[in-house]
Amino acid sequence: MNGLMQDVTYALRQLRKAPGFTLTAVLTLALGIGANAAIFTLVHAVLLQNLPVSDPKSLVRLGDKDDCCVMGGRPENEGYSLFAYDLYKHLRDSAPEFEQLAAMQAGVSQGALTARRGASNSLSKASSGEFVSGNYFQTFGLQSYAGRLLLPSDDVAGAPMAAVLSYRAWQRDYAMDPSVVGSIFELNTHPVTVVGITPPSFYGDRMTDTPPDFYLPVTMEPILDPGALLKRPEASWLYVLGRVKPGTQIGPLQEKMSGLLRDWLIPQKVYQNADGKKALPKSHIVLTPGGVGIANMQAEYRSGLELLMGISGLVLLIACANIANLVLVRGMARRAETSIRMALGAARKRIIRQMLTESLVLACLGGVAGLAVSYAGTRMLLALAFPDSPGLPIHASPSLPMLGFAFGLSLLTGLIFGIAPAWITSHSEPAESLRGANRSTRDSASLLQRSLVVTQAALSLVLLVGAGLLTRSLNKLEHQNFGLQTENRVVIHISPDNAGYKPDQLQALYGEIEDRFRALPGVEGVGLSLYTPLEGDNWGEGVTIQGRPEPGQNDHVGASWDRVTPDFFQVIGQRILRGRGITDQDTGTSPIVAVVNETFVKKFFPNGEDPIGAHFGLDGVKSAGEIEIVGVVSDVKYVNPREAVQAMYFRPFLQHAPLSDNADVRSLFAGAIMLQMRGPSEGLEAQVRRTLANINPNLTVVNFNTFGGQIEGQFTQEKLIARLTLMFGMLALVLASVGLYGVTAYTVARRTPEIGIRMALGAGRGNVVSMVLREAMLQAGVGLAIGLPVALLCVRFLKTQLYGTGGQDPVVFAGAIVVLVVSACVAGLIPARRAASTDPVKALRTE
Amino acid sequence: MATDTMIQIEDLKKIFYTDEIETHALSGVHLNINRGEYVAMSGPSGCGKSTLLSIIGLLDTPTGGSYTLNGKAVANLNFADRSRIRNQEIGFIFQSFNLIGDLTVAENVELPLTYRAGMPATERKKRVQESLERVNMAHRMRHYPAQLSGGQQQRVAVARALAGSPSILLADEPTGNLDSKNGEAVMKLLQELHAEGATICMVTHDPRFAAHAERQVHLFDGKVVAEGELNRLLAEVEG
Ligand SMILES: Nc1ncnc2c1ncn2[C@@H]1O[C@H](COP(=O)(O)OP(=O)(O)O)[C@@H](O)[C@H]1O
Ligand SMILES: [Mg+2]
Repeated sequence: MNGLMQDVTYALRQLRKAPGFTLTAVLTLALGIGANAAIFTLVHAVLLQNLPVSDPKSLVRLGDKDDCCVMGGRPENEGYSLFAYDLYKHLRDSAPEFEQLAAMQAGVSQGALTARRGASNSLSKASSGEFVSGNYFQTFGLQSYAGRLLLPSDDVAGAPMAAVLSYRAWQRDYAMDPSVVGSIFELNTHPVTVVGITPPSFYGDRMTDTPPDFYLPVTMEPILDPGALLKRPEASWLYVLGRVKPGTQIGPLQEKMSGLLRDWLIPQKVYQNADGKKALPKSHIVLTPGGVGIANMQAEYRSGLELLMGISGLVLLIACANIANLVLVRGMARRAETSIRMALGAARKRIIRQMLTESLVLACLGGVAGLAVSYAGTRMLLALAFPDSPGLPIHASPSLPMLGFAFGLSLLTGLIFGIAPAWITSHSEPAESLRGANRSTRDSASLLQRSLVVTQAALSLVLLVGAGLLTRSLNKLEHQNFGLQTENRVVIHISPDNAGYKPDQLQALYGEIEDRFRALPGVEGVGLSLYTPLEGDNWGEGVTIQGRPEPGQNDHVGASWDRVTPDFFQVIGQRILRGRGITDQDTGTSPIVAVVNETFVKKFFPNGEDPIGAHFGLDGVKSAGEIEIVGVVSDVKYVNPREAVQAMYFRPFLQHAPLSDNADVRSLFAGAIMLQMRGPSEGLEAQVRRTLANINPNLTVVNFNTFGGQIEGQFTQEKLIARLTLMFGMLALVLASVGLYGVTAYTVARRTPEIGIRMALGAGRGNVVSMVLREAMLQAGVGLAIGLPVALLCVRFLKTQLYGTGGQDPVVFAGAIVVLVVSACVAGLIPARRAASTDPVKALRTE
Repeated sequence: MATDTMIQIEDLKKIFYTDEIETHALSGVHLNINRGEYVAMSGPSGCGKSTLLSIIGLLDTPTGGSYTLNGKAVANLNFADRSRIRNQEIGFIFQSFNLIGDLTVAENVELPLTYRAGMPATERKKRVQESLERVNMAHRMRHYPAQLSGGQQQRVAVARALAGSPSILLADEPTGNLDSKNGEAVMKLLQELHAEGATICMVTHDPRFAAHAERQVHLFDGKVVAEGELNRLLAEVEG
């Protein structure tokens, strides 16, 4: 212990004596460790952090998939993650292994709830609410911040309507007014008492940038929502999460829950036909750890974050190589001292220990400086990763696990860059210094130096290739042909159902919206739709073309669909290719029509049949005559910008297909207004809010965005990863270039006498430059030769992140090689020029 | 033996400026060296012998005066031209041999030839072989300098100076780092080369070796002085 203190003190003294070296090394380490700590903060917050609830480890979730938000029919691979309310009750009541089993709504979205505090005359607010079972808060073991939380007794049909307000919403919207507790709110125009406030740290059962403002008993769902899912056993819409009793075996419990599931499924409609009967025995529930809650965001970000961890690790390795080089050069410079110490009888072990201590102390200094880098880096990361997401429970301030991570990483880093130089220095021959001026430059130290530079070049190439591929992929993604016009288009999301409109009032409402918005200055066109392209929504149905046999479970008859007003195609720039679009004559009483896109025609009329005039239905052969195709429109990317355009059909609002179920009623409510402006629109948002409020005070703006902005929002994660990878790639390149520069400069300094001799023998400046440069380029070249196959291998990890470019994109590879070669040239040229300006007389004198 | 003038130096001056101190290393040197001549240069330490040799060898440029090499004024050539002439006309032999440790004996000897544009590899190999045979070191071609004795290293250095068939060999205290036996061997080698027609200018402060030369030049305090004069000046300094 005493020896260690002595070593540390000695190390600190040595470092203080070499401020240039210490500063360079600490800064390099700060960048490397800081970048890793920043990424780790994100990884920890997103992937590892448990919910702030009591004993999160005993929470268990039924299911492992997102599957949001409402599922009819059977889940993919028969694994259930989403449950009907009736199924939830069945599971809850038959599994005593769970202390509590709670259900919570999957589809929580901003604007799904329109809230107004009853007493005040305030405007309605677009809010979000989550329907939860009465035992939700008990399951998490939470205490209210004020008032009380929901209880099972609130979750009974006919009970007084109660809601719990989130602390965040209370703070943000109601200035933490204590009188909110116990007061009556109008939620979707229904009076509901707010009985309490959630604890401040609780952000809900999942990580999201739009946590719910209100928690509502699930039995209130049919009152607040016209879509009423509660009583429909075929609609799965709830996540289920519970707390198991201590000592419960998860394996057997999973078997049991799957058995209970199958018992409940047997009488269900979907399991009556042959396909369903076959699927039943395979139906199952996977139990997953529920400590992190519903891990949708974790699943979405996992691969991206893991990629970033890998990349930042590589950058740190490159930084380590640089510092190893510096340490080595220092060790060489102190060879004489080392020789003397060894001559005085110091054991080799002792010298290695001393040098390693110095490296570790250096690494810890770097780690401390890295914390500052990490804090700034995390803030930048969060801004990049989650723009406009103040609701997300992720913070930049250092946490205990992050500090531990940074410390551990520092020690590891110190070992990595310290061991080889310590070994080599301790093996220096004491006689070496006596050997005279023309000793060989090809000793083990310079071999190690070169290997380090080669490694750096290879790693940089890998990173540059990755950055290039991701950037190119993002570029292709953003600049692909979506098939629509975004310039001067504005999307306004609304929720007429929350405002209390009934289906028979909608025609008048849409007419009024169109008229009033058309009258606004600068507005060129107005279109309404159920949802708009590339907002993340998708409605799908199975299509049966008239005259074709009943489709089986394995026939791909799915098509996406939307409802639009007559001008909508025009407003988003979707062209009518054949037949007609939707017109004002398509009303609730006229024949039911649809306009289909090109992909729909290719998918359902593959042999060149004429789609115009053909009919299709949504409920098998018996409905196949219901909807007539009257036109074909151009393809537009609607759902996933990374995938090909889906088959789509478009229907007028207000045409209700008589044979379809009541999901069709929900689709009558327009979710968005699309405005086409004549030019850029300053102050439009306030005007839009006023216009809507003038129609109906409960008609709130759920979301206001430019069309371009909405589409950009689809690429946040790609942007994050591409930008960070590019940043790390540049950092790696700079570090590698500095490394190459350092080694070359050091070599030149050592070889000054030799360069003098060569000049005396008639070497011109060009000869000297090319000699030094050749050596530098050789190292870069070997790095390239090693890096290329490694990059080709690593590209496999990127495949899933790429769009529109294969892993072996020659442009990217060529680009990365050129960038690396140019950097190596620059890094080599500076010392090469210095070498060429050697004065031969002086060089020969210093021998 | 030809008696035409190869090197003509008039009123050569060299001043070094370091930290505002002017060092007059050469202050008006006059010196002619004829083709085929063997000149020994001597004088006390710091009198400017190495400086003069550097300028003759075009490693350095004079501050003033003129220098004509083979009828061409070379005092104020640029770096590239000096490199080229140095490569073709000058052969250096240093006190500390100055072989390059990373290169084999053959590669060291070949080095000046590689800086000569357009000489084919076969020609280079031939010359390397010849020069090494001339100094009796051909059997050590593939060795590294560190594997040779001092005398052997200096013989390789002589071979390297010969390889480019220079007009003149410049040797700065070539025996300074050698014991007397090896020193004499090198001196004998230079004498033989002279006998074969080489022009040599050698710095030495050993009167025994200086006696090997046809002509002795004495330097004192940056000037060429006569032998008697030198002795008088030396006695003055000592007295
Ligand atoms: N590069 C230099 N800068 C400053 N002074 C120099 C330099 N080279 C030589 N001198 C000085 O010039 C004088 C002559 O040196 P030199 O030619 O090496 O003498 P020597 O006759 O011993 O070879 C000495 O006083 C020496 O200190
Ligand atoms: Mg000298």
